Amino acid sequence: MWGDWYQLWEIVSAPDNVPIVALLFLVPFYTWYAFRQAFETDRLIEQLEKDPQLAKTHHRKVHPWQPGWPREVHTWPYLMRVEFLAAIIVTVILTVWSITLNAPLEEPANPNLTMNPAKAPWYFLGLQEMLVYFDPWIAGVVMPTLIIIGLMVIPYIDENPLGNGYYTYKQRRFAIWTFLVGFIGLWVIMIVIGTFIRGPGWMWFWPTQTWDHNRLVFEVNRNLHEWWIFKYIVPQNIWAWTVFGAIVVGLYFAGAAYLIHRICMATEFSRKIYRRMSLLQIVTMQILLILMLALPIKMLLRLVFRIKYVWVTPWFNV
Amino acid sequence: MPAQPAQDPITSKSLSFHLLLWSFLLIVSLAWALYDEMYGLRPWRSYQKRFIEAYSSYLQREIPKQQQAEQSIRNSPEYQKLEAQWKAAEAAVAPRLSEIDTEIARINRRLGVLTPVFQEARGRVAALVYQLEIASADDRQSRLREVEQAKQQTYSLSLPGLHGDGTEQAQLSYTDLEREFNRLKDRKAALVAERAAVLAEADALRRQLESYFSEKLAGLTGQQLQGLLRAVNNLDVRIRQIHNESAGLVDRCQSCHIGMDLALVPPNLTLTKADLNLEGNPDAPFSSHPNIELLRLHDPDRDPAKALERIGCSPCHGGNGRATSSVIKGHGRHKYWLWPLYYRENFEAGCQMCHAQDMVLDYAPVLNRGKELYRERGCVGCHRFEGFDNEAEQLLSARQRIRQLEQQKREYEQEIARLQRRADDPATPLEVARQLNERAASLPVVMSQLDAEIEQLQQRTVSLMREEKKVGPSLKEVRVKLKKEWIPYWLANTHEFRPDTKMPQFRLEESEIQAISAFIWQMGLPGPLEKQPRGDPARGKRLFETRGCLGCHSIGEGANKIGGDFAANLSRVGEKANYDYLVRWIYNPRQRTRPYDPIAKKDLGPEDYARHGKPFVFDLKNSRSPDGKHELVVMLPTVMPSLRLTWQEARDIASYLITLRRSDANYPPAPYIDDPNLRERGRELVKFYGCAGCHEIATLEEEGRIGTELTNEGSKPVDRLDFALLTHNAKRGILPDGSPSPRGKWYDHKGFFEQKLANPAIFDQGKYKPDPRDRLRMPKPNLTPADINALTTFLLGSVDPQVPNDMLYRPEGARKDIQDGWWIITKYNCMGCHQIRVGQRSALQDLPQYQGPNADKLPPPLFGAGARLNPRWLARFLENPALSETDIHRNGVRNYLDIRMPTFYLSDNEIRKLVRFFEALSAQERPFIPPVIQPLTEAERTMARDLFTHPAAPCLRCHATGDPAHDRNATAPNFLLAGERLRPPWTQRWLLDPARMIPGTAMPSGLFRREGDRWVFAGPLPASLRNYRGDHAELLVRYMFLMTPAEQRLLISRSPRATGASTGGSE
Repeated sequence: MWGDWYQLWEIVSAPDNVPIVALLFLVPFYTWYAFRQAFETDRLIEQLEKDPQLAKTHHRKVHPWQPGWPREVHTWPYLMRVEFLAAIIVTVILTVWSITLNAPLEEPANPNLTMNPAKAPWYFLGLQEMLVYFDPWIAGVVMPTLIIIGLMVIPYIDENPLGNGYYTYKQRRFAIWTFLVGFIGLWVIMIVIGTFIRGPGWMWFWPTQTWDHNRLVFEVNRNLHEWWIFKYIVPQNIWAWTVFGAIVVGLYFAGAAYLIHRICMATEFSRKIYRRMSLLQIVTMQILLILMLALPIKMLLRLVFRIKYVWVTPWFNV
Repeated sequence: MPAQPAQDPITSKSLSFHLLLWSFLLIVSLAWALYDEMYGLRPWRSYQKRFIEAYSSYLQREIPKQQQAEQSIRNSPEYQKLEAQWKAAEAAVAPRLSEIDTEIARINRRLGVLTPVFQEARGRVAALVYQLEIASADDRQSRLREVEQAKQQTYSLSLPGLHGDGTEQAQLSYTDLEREFNRLKDRKAALVAERAAVLAEADALRRQLESYFSEKLAGLTGQQLQGLLRAVNNLDVRIRQIHNESAGLVDRCQSCHIGMDLALVPPNLTLTKADLNLEGNPDAPFSSHPNIELLRLHDPDRDPAKALERIGCSPCHGGNGRATSSVIKGHGRHKYWLWPLYYRENFEAGCQMCHAQDMVLDYAPVLNRGKELYRERGCVGCHRFEGFDNEAEQLLSARQRIRQLEQQKREYEQEIARLQRRADDPATPLEVARQLNERAASLPVVMSQLDAEIEQLQQRTVSLMREEKKVGPSLKEVRVKLKKEWIPYWLANTHEFRPDTKMPQFRLEESEIQAISAFIWQMGLPGPLEKQPRGDPARGKRLFETRGCLGCHSIGEGANKIGGDFAANLSRVGEKANYDYLVRWIYNPRQRTRPYDPIAKKDLGPEDYARHGKPFVFDLKNSRSPDGKHELVVMLPTVMPSLRLTWQEARDIASYLITLRRSDANYPPAPYIDDPNLRERGRELVKFYGCAGCHEIATLEEEGRIGTELTNEGSKPVDRLDFALLTHNAKRGILPDGSPSPRGKWYDHKGFFEQKLANPAIFDQGKYKPDPRDRLRMPKPNLTPADINALTTFLLGSVDPQVPNDMLYRPEGARKDIQDGWWIITKYNCMGCHQIRVGQRSALQDLPQYQGPNADKLPPPLFGAGARLNPRWLARFLENPALSETDIHRNGVRNYLDIRMPTFYLSDNEIRKLVRFFEALSAQERPFIPPVIQPLTEAERTMARDLFTHPAAPCLRCHATGDPAHDRNATAPNFLLAGERLRPPWTQRWLLDPARMIPGTAMPSGLFRREGDRWVFAGPLPASLRNYRGDHAELLVRYMFLMTPAEQRLLISRSPRATGASTGGSE
């Protein structure tokens, strides 16, 4: 059943989903806004590089620079008044929101009855979505741990001092793209999928498709060694599968590492940063990025090619 | 000069406008938040304010009216008279009263002076006495002296005189003070007592006056209304909640439904929307509880306020009692609340949670109807429901228990042998051997106790086999009963043939119908069936209309239908039935063609009896299997009773019934019905569709129920109700036919039940099910919208109890007997002929032949039957209403009625329950101990005879005597029965005022009048009674209870002949 706009309205209008609907608009807007600022600063950097005289003096990061403007602007009142205004606006929005939409209190918990679809709170929907692609111990334990560790080690890997206190794209290209892929590309998109796309039975429903509890779909997921030409190549034996999977994963690691290395070496600027990094920093970064990249690749394999596991071993499956 | 630089965007711009605008919006949103806090989230505030306004203006309108009413009562002559009496009585005692009051006042004055001095002295003495008590032996003398001194010390007082004559100076010691104090107190007490005695008469008159006033005044007095008005005007607007901690109940319903607060609207003030001038306003929840009596019923002290305090609102009505933020949330009508408020048409569902074990409830006609339908329409044949028709289960567990006990007996036998072996062993010490022998000797006693239990259980199984009934007729009899072409027609056109039948319409394909018909027909018993000569249809019609068939059966189609709807409509019975079978059925509906052996699981024929050399005879007296080992099923599992007709009467009625057919009745031939190849498929289908739930079918006697159990269907999560492809339409309020649902979304239990009952196939809508076996099996029941609502109400209420167990109605003793009794009363449709509940009408009452004076021909109402009848006699009567083994074609008591109390072949268990039921309904103690009847002296007998034959009380004109010539016109029972049948206290009450017990009875009231503490005959007294000082009614009762046939003959000879008083039908 397509074109069920009522269904879409039901999803969008649920008080639970307000943050995600807002996120759909706010995330692109602020991404665009940050990039605008960053590009502006980049143009200023260019200007200053051409005019060492100007660069020698302290001054505001504003472009294009007009002579005669104050070189510095005081926090009070110029910053404080904007922050104050923002605080008022946020207070008004929160007040109105809390008056108009009450937190939905659901029925008393019934251990004999699981709701369908059973959804995590919106900020955990990304983790729940990962369960589709990985075994629970990976999606629920390893991945979240890696995310937290990864976030913690950022300051120890990223020693690039530029970009502190101002928006810039040129000087932090690598960091920005890593963020865009990791946060917006993976985390936010998975939340959106979990909210709008996943219906009863955690099945994939396109927007305006009716969430039908009786819907049945026929999907067979295969492991990689049973797929395409691999099923003719790989012997039907768990050890063969293990070796095959290890080779594929090894190949992926090598390929992904090479790709990341090439990206790091792409410009003179990044080469300079790369040369400053220690071996430990580089290896840590590589491992984290390779694993992060593995998620969208696995999603793709699963959604497009119906691949269940890449690597099947007697002990674990990936 | 350089070009004017562009303005600095940071420093040159002003944000004042934005700041102003957003600050303003902030203030607005704060104001909104405050408003929301006060009113938006607390809608009950506005409700309470509106209530205060509406209610106080109602009270203001009401007060003058009430005051006027009061005034008119005060002006009435009766009131004036009573008031004058009261005033006179007061005036008469006024002088003495004023004397007493004066004296009391003087004593009080004197005491006023005396008391403080006395108390001071007493304190001093008491303290010294204490010192004395704890003093050492040395000090004792000196302490004693101190006490003596203190007692001797004098006090100077100026006491007011007791005669109003100034004061007197006195020097009093402690002892004098004490004496004077006690004297005054005693005198005062005597005076107060005298005052009360003097006033007693006046007080009684005052109370009389007050009670007269309150009796005459409907509702509250103006003063009380004033009080309410004050309370309402000063009402504290707050959450009003009922909190029953032990039940975990918090109901805040009264926060909006404030009219339910019994402190504000007392129970004797009913508040409706019309009273408040809010008629037609859908948003005015201010009415008071419309049925205060219901609240009273739920409190042991009949206090509605206490009942509310204990039970609250939501346990009965559903809804979320805690929620106060909106109407929808409070009523729980959203997807997250599992117990939504019952809709108005279903509110009786609330009774079911606690009263699941009751078959009949006062004040819940819809729920009663639902339960009745559930049983009568055979829902219970497929869907198990706790408490409904569980004889088969009980039978199983009784047999299981018997096996256990027998096993236990075998174990004891082995134990005895083992004990004796050990005791006989020479190695066993003597003392131990003695103990072992003792134990071995005691075990047989224990075993004999087990025998008693086994014997009771076997009785119980016999009872249960008799009690087990089926909703539909036994299909073992089809070959002798039906025309075979009719069977497939009936299966295909059930509701067209008989629009009010209980049988639901199955969804069957033509091939399925053929297979089922073939199976049923071929499994039918071939006979034998006696040929019967034809009877007289005209006489049969008369008998049919007068013997009582219409209490259960209806006849006539469409608007012409008359009779009860408990059993089948017989309008077209002639089209399907075989005459010879009808005669046998009418003569004795329980007559089987062959008895069924539940152990061998087969129908026994003459050959089985012949094998054991026994004649092929089976009935209630010959119910053992031919090998004598176990009980057989000897009756058909129908509730239809025997009317004890003669064979000729049965033939007449059958001859009449066989004429009931449409002239164009014609069914296509059904040759396939004898095709043995269809039989196995038919058996599978019959099993598959659960036919054996309602019919007895050969080889399928032990089939279980095929449907889901419904005991807790109302609390099944809504997700587990299979709305199938209609789920989305249900959630969006679109009915299966595409029209919008009048109440919006119907994705709830109510919606599911209603749609399912209206058309069970509806949830197959849109499903692809090429094999008919995949389709929903439930057949379409034959229900009116009211029936659907009744069943929906019943199912909605069938929930897992939300309240603690002690709040459920699980009575013991008399109440339990009443509960049990109703199941039997409704099972056999006693209320088709009798009135049992006050206000209930029997099916017969509405028939044209019983209107006007013919109402006397109706069976007696059974109000108070438990107080009236001797329980032993009642048990005997229920077992055999003819009260005779030989002369059975008659009524045992009311032989003069055409209508006949049938023989129901009740089991012992059912008889016991029914007798207890009637006794419990009339609050009779058990067991019944008959009072001793004092024998009559010769003089008393003469007096009683005179009364009996008195022209003003010609008892024998109406009461039967057993003499056929006399009884032709009799309309009341024979006195000879009274002794064993009635209870003396009831009989006496009946003589005094029969119309009060059974309204409309022909027995005259007012035969006696009260004279002092005895009842005296109201007519002109016969000479013999003039000097009799005893109670005339009591004398008559004794006479009646000691009546003998000889005495009765004597009476007949003395009394005027029965002249056919057309008004009869009494005790």
